[in-house]
Amino acid sequence: MGLRWYHFALWGGFILFMYLLPEFVSRGTLRTIIFANFLAVFAISWDVISGRTGYVSFGHPFLIGIGAYTTAILTKRFGVPVELSIPLAVLATMAGGLIVLIPALRIRGSYFALVTLAFMELMYQLVQVIRPDLTGGTRGMSGIQTLTRGAENGFYMSFTLLAVLSVGTWLLMRTQFGTALSAISMDEDSVAGSGLNTVKLKTAAFLVSAFVAGVGGAFYVHYLGSLAPRALFDINFVFTIIVAALIGGASTIVGPIIGAFFLTFLLEYLRPWLPGAERYFIYGGVALLLYMYQPKGFYAIIMAGWSRLRARMARRKPGARA
Amino acid sequence: MTALAVRNLVKRFGGLTATNDVSFDIAPGQSVGLIGPNGAGKTTIFSQVMGELRQSAGTITLFGNEISGLSTPGRIRRGVCRTYQVPRPFHDLTVAENIRVGLAPNSIWQLVTRRPDHAREAEIALGVGLRETDFDRAPTELSMGDLRKLEFARTLATGARVMLLDEVFAGLTVGEIQVVSDLILGLRRDGMTFLMVSHDLKALEPLVDRVIAIDQGRKIAEGSYREVLDDPDVRASYLGGQG
Repeated sequence: MGLRWYHFALWGGFILFMYLLPEFVSRGTLRTIIFANFLAVFAISWDVISGRTGYVSFGHPFLIGIGAYTTAILTKRFGVPVELSIPLAVLATMAGGLIVLIPALRIRGSYFALVTLAFMELMYQLVQVIRPDLTGGTRGMSGIQTLTRGAENGFYMSFTLLAVLSVGTWLLMRTQFGTALSAISMDEDSVAGSGLNTVKLKTAAFLVSAFVAGVGGAFYVHYLGSLAPRALFDINFVFTIIVAALIGGASTIVGPIIGAFFLTFLLEYLRPWLPGAERYFIYGGVALLLYMYQPKGFYAIIMAGWSRLRARMARRKPGARA
Repeated sequence: MTALAVRNLVKRFGGLTATNDVSFDIAPGQSVGLIGPNGAGKTTIFSQVMGELRQSAGTITLFGNEISGLSTPGRIRRGVCRTYQVPRPFHDLTVAENIRVGLAPNSIWQLVTRRPDHAREAEIALGVGLRETDFDRAPTELSMGDLRKLEFARTLATGARVMLLDEVFAGLTVGEIQVVSDLILGLRRDGMTFLMVSHDLKALEPLVDRVIAIDQGRKIAEGSYREVLDDPDVRASYLGGQG
């Protein structure tokens, strides 16, 4: 789990490549990448709870929604500046993370997934019923302050966000904290049986995940400038987040980024041929094929290829260190 | 001072009394065998000592401190740790990482900021007889004997001074039983205190100073290995109704 120079070189290369991208690709492609960036942030957030600790959440938009709604309401209804509303939104999302933690203290597996799904549905109902004058009710909100203008700026903003959050969580997950969280998904009782307080570990994981979801949700709403509850608290949105993390490679940080880009571009490129919901059949099919071939996702395929390449290179250099 | 003292321990599950007024002491560095037929309540006692089950009555003290009110991780930090009948390694972590979880500090801040102590991981792994080539392997690639060693390693990593071994010889070949026995004897020489459950009484004999026999949750005999095995109640309990 040690850090190597090439890890940082790869991250640096990826970030540099992305920052140069607007010079070479069209605005339309940039807009697609913006959505991929946000989807990657949400998938990373999901991955911290579900990929790492094995508490599969089906209600992640609950957390994203808290972040999005808090900053939207504060800026639009109360004139709070975004410099203040975004941090407040992130804090509110972290409080929401503690709400999701409550069932995780007692139940896991499909029961936990169902409870989180209920949280999302509850949130959808609540924003329509409670103070629709603030939340915009069923119609949502529009005219929310945007932070950027134009595809290029939107791209730089969303990618910077992704770069900071992904490198940050990646570094965090390479510490002993990440190892302990992975161990929870394998055998939680054995983690407790190794002298670690699993409640404390889960609390920290849920707070980190909620932090990422809150930052992502808040910036997303200030990118879009509008908020539609039916699109946000939507089972399709949940599945897109989960599938992005899973086909990329759960519990890896890099995997969810790969998965998010793959899914976003797949759906985008299929649009001219399959404008309707049929596209989801293709993406379901791709996901199914991938799971049959390699359940650990693209990341595992890439890593297997990399170690094969290294083994071949080592064989070619006789006398070299294997 | 005793390493582990259990006083009037009672555990009821509804109408069933799984542990019935059991008391025993283990001095530091002593090794005690806990025997009894299937369902006698041996593992239930282990679970209560570790805090995985709360006793209905009675007290448990570790090196003079009452631990009955502590959580499982709290008890482990005081120096008691157990192994399971079936080894339970973290299957997607490497051998070294499995030991790392045992060594890990119980503070989120320290978990994030402190670097893993690779030297200590290696020392523990080699100490239980794992090889350096095993460090980066997955537990699924290990033999049953090596999995037992890994369990010992993770338990030792927690800083245990009292080890509870549950069916430590289950699933091992004759050769592996010898290796694990030698490991236990080595740890005894270093001052480790043991309470061990085993159905393999022959393998238990050279490892223990004393044996406690229980049946239906009640202690029926305590003494040297020979005394307890010659006890008519113990013989009757092992042979069931035919005795």
